[in-house]
Amino acid sequence: MKRIILPILAMFFVGNIIAQQDLKPSKTQFMIRGYGSAGFQSLNDEGEKESSFNSGTFAPIMLFKFSDKFMFETEMEFAYENGELETALEYADVMYILNDYMTIRAGKFLLPFGTFMERLHPSWINKLSSVPLGFGHDGIVPSSGVGVELRGTFTVSGSKFNYAVYSTNGPKLNDGSMDPDEAGILHFDNYEDNNKNKSLGGRIGYLPFTDSSTEIGFSFLNSKVGNTESDYEKIGAKLIAYDFSFIKKVNPLAGIIDIKAQYNKSLVDDAEYFEPLDGGGFEEYTFNNTSNSFYAQLSYKPTMSASNFLKNIELVGRYSELNTPEGAEWESNVKQTAFGINYWLSWRSALKVNYQITDGTGGHGGGGIDKKLFTIQWAFGI
Amino acid sequence: MKTFKIVSIIGFIGFATISCSPERAAIVQGKSGVQLWSETCMRCHNTPSPADFNDADWSTIEMHMRVRANLTADESKKIFDFLRSAN
Repeated sequence: MKRIILPILAMFFVGNIIAQQDLKPSKTQFMIRGYGSAGFQSLNDEGEKESSFNSGTFAPIMLFKFSDKFMFETEMEFAYENGELETALEYADVMYILNDYMTIRAGKFLLPFGTFMERLHPSWINKLSSVPLGFGHDGIVPSSGVGVELRGTFTVSGSKFNYAVYSTNGPKLNDGSMDPDEAGILHFDNYEDNNKNKSLGGRIGYLPFTDSSTEIGFSFLNSKVGNTESDYEKIGAKLIAYDFSFIKKVNPLAGIIDIKAQYNKSLVDDAEYFEPLDGGGFEEYTFNNTSNSFYAQLSYKPTMSASNFLKNIELVGRYSELNTPEGAEWESNVKQTAFGINYWLSWRSALKVNYQITDGTGGHGGGGIDKKLFTIQWAFGI
Repeated sequence: MKTFKIVSIIGFIGFATISCSPERAAIVQGKSGVQLWSETCMRCHNTPSPADFNDADWSTIEMHMRVRANLTADESKKIFDFLRSAN
């Protein structure tokens, strides 16, 4: 796969350079954008200390504009982990603008489930070097899906609304047959559907003020999640999220205040799972499969300062928590507090210095969680 | 929980009704590209410099961002007309 992707990527870069030599814009346009990061981290995990430079990630975004209504967009991710180049397809979708109020997308696209994963997760946008609890690996929130989506924006007498409705393959339930420790977990990398049911999801966003400073949103996703022709075929899941955003230049504070928050809840129908016993055989058990996560982030950037140095500084604080079901093998109650000082080298490049404290109980290892993480990250958009 | 949902829905509808008015619609319609650029882009990231891309690139970015950032057709046109005029 990598042998195919890398030469294709090289051809795109060369093609783009050659294309830029011809200054007359063509009707069909192609552009590479994206983002990347590099950094250092020092982790104290219950007294065990380790530190390492890391090469970070590089995520090229390719945009193919065929007309004023028709575009293909894709983002790949490259990361060097454990001595190997890891690749991933973040999204690859085709979109067509039907009219001023409706756009249709199909393929693999970022899901508008809340706002963090769709809008805020890229390293040059995310104000901290980590994602909040509940997102990413071991998270309870979907980031992308394969399917079709209708979305749009409209104004009503000065207030703005945006909406998205989509159908995808949906999440799939880990029934524990392969990994009993993860029985009951939802997986969101369902690129080939595990059942005949398709998920239905959507989000409605409301911006009440004329300066677009405030947005509140509600998201949902309903789906059957069990494998076809298994005991879990009828198991369904309901996911909801509430999100809030406020960003405004506040003159008395001589800078920009930015508040972001999102609450996520996952409700999976009750089911019987099986735990292997030491002496052989299995023990049947069940639990109330409800999880939730929450984050709130506040940042301040003194953009009106007379000092060129100070106006590029940004202070960030974030609290997040994740609670997974009591009685599950993956039961956890985790809280995380993160602080950061960022220095913006340009509008799309920041040097982030972060300190993050994570504590709680549970997780894959069971027992207590007590982690302190110090990171320095240089993130950039291209 | 049901009470919370009912109060939230009623509150939302009431707030939405109060916040919609012809005067506010006129304010939104009258906004310039530079105003919308300064207010809208920073909802997710810092406001971009017009000089960083040429006209053709801004046209491509316009379509990408119109969909990703939920911009109205009018907002999108005004913002990117400004960026193309100022680069």
